[in-house]
Amino acid sequence: MSGPKSALTECEAPPDAVPLGGDPSSDSAADHSAAENSQRALLNILEDFVAEKSSLEHGQRAMLNILDDFDSERERMEGAQRAVLNILEDSVTEKVQLEAVQRSVLNILDDFAAEKIQLETVQQSMVNILDDFSEEKDRLEETQRAVLNILDDFEAEKNKVELVNQQLEKEIEERARIETRIKGVNTELLAANKELEAFSYSVSHDLRAPLRGIDGFSLALLEDYGEKLDEEGRDHLQRVRAATQRMGVLIDDLLNLSRVTRSEMRMEKADLGAIAGSIAAELQRTQPERRAEFRIEANLVAFADSHLLRISLENLLGNAWKFTSKREATSIEVGRTIREGEPAYYVRDNGAGFDPAYAHRLFGAFQRLHDKSDFPGTGVGLATVQRIIHRHGGRIWAESAPDKGATFYFTLPEATGRSDG
Amino acid sequence: MSDKTILLVEDNADDEKLTLRALKKNNISNEVVVARNGVEALDYLFGTGAYAGRNLGHMPQVVLLDLKLPKLDGLEVLRRLRADERTKLLPVVILTSSNEEADRINGYGLGANSYVRKPVDFVQFIEAARQLGLYWLVLNEPPPARRN
Repeated sequence: MSGPKSALTECEAPPDAVPLGGDPSSDSAADHSAAENSQRALLNILEDFVAEKSSLEHGQRAMLNILDDFDSERERMEGAQRAVLNILEDSVTEKVQLEAVQRSVLNILDDFAAEKIQLETVQQSMVNILDDFSEEKDRLEETQRAVLNILDDFEAEKNKVELVNQQLEKEIEERARIETRIKGVNTELLAANKELEAFSYSVSHDLRAPLRGIDGFSLALLEDYGEKLDEEGRDHLQRVRAATQRMGVLIDDLLNLSRVTRSEMRMEKADLGAIAGSIAAELQRTQPERRAEFRIEANLVAFADSHLLRISLENLLGNAWKFTSKREATSIEVGRTIREGEPAYYVRDNGAGFDPAYAHRLFGAFQRLHDKSDFPGTGVGLATVQRIIHRHGGRIWAESAPDKGATFYFTLPEATGRSDG
Repeated sequence: MSDKTILLVEDNADDEKLTLRALKKNNISNEVVVARNGVEALDYLFGTGAYAGRNLGHMPQVVLLDLKLPKLDGLEVLRRLRADERTKLLPVVILTSSNEEADRINGYGLGANSYVRKPVDFVQFIEAARQLGLYWLVLNEPPPARRN
């Protein structure tokens, strides 16, 4: 309020106040001079007053203007204030709104914080999951590597298998070829066997028939015409007959040899001791006058074809019996022992024995190590025995010295359990 | 005993002669009909061929049958005898050189009554003939004759 008052004071005494719109005529009157002076002064005063008044008015107007201005200013101020208030109100509202917003924001931030925690948790979880996933991935990779390795191995294996397969196929082909060959050979063998059988049959039947004729008619000669012959003539006929009969025996032995090779094997537990015992008894019966001792071990059980085994024991014991015939007392042993690390059966006698230098000829057909006049025989017996033992997968050999007896050893497949049967 | 005939089926003349001699040595004087192959044997037994019209009411007491024969062999002859009602029960003795297992199995399998191997030693042969004659002509009772 001080502003407008000071502006009024300044207008009270203007130092160079000049009349405004003053009339020059009023100044000219003689006596009037004083009057005029007074007038003028008055006028001046009036003028001053008027001027003052106009300046006052002017001031007032200015004041009013100022006041007007002030009013408008005030209005403006009020307006401004209102505006400010409004603004402030608005601001308050704004503030409230802002606060609300802020709260919201805070809430949001809170929420966000919670969210963030959750997110962090989730993220952690994610990280964990990712870690796990990573581990899982590592594991998977490892597994994958392992699988790849396995696949590699498998591939390698597959290649190997294919290689083996190829080899197998080759082998199968080879085998098929061999089988075909074997079949061919077998067929040939069967044919050969058939031929051999036919041959044996012929030998058996056709070779014996003429022998029977020779022997029969030689005897008929002796019987019907014997008295027309001298002693020598009759002796010749007797020799014809003896030779014929020897040939008959030879043919039979050969047939047996071939039969031993051809016959089917029936493997079973066979008691060598029992078989040897019955053969020994039979031998003793043929020459009851001979003093003989048979010592046969008990429980000589082998896995063999008992029919073939009997044939070989008949030959071995028959030989022992034959080659001890010149002894005062015959001693024949049948037993089992260990020779060259394996169990071997043996037939031992105290007979004439043989020279070991010729041992290799012992088992050949028609091979004889003694004079026929000393010990008769065809030389087929041991060949037959050897063939039988070989067919069993065994071995046979002999040890002897001249006049020191002989021992024949042979091996046979083991019986799975020795029994008293 | 005179009406009891023997049918000898034998292709070998030596064997035939020796067999007849062996029988004679044993005083077996029965009639011996000799057939020299399988066909001849069947002709005699069934009254066909050279023996057409033969009285089939008279059958041999025993047939001595060799196995190895020309034309029909002994086993085939035996098969046909056993397949025919008239000769199904006829006593047949296989008399042969063979002692092959297969021959024995087949012989008995086809219904042979006996199987004798001819020995090389003629003394043994004579003994075999003696025992055969004694057994089949004297001891053995033949199946009853068929009535037609």
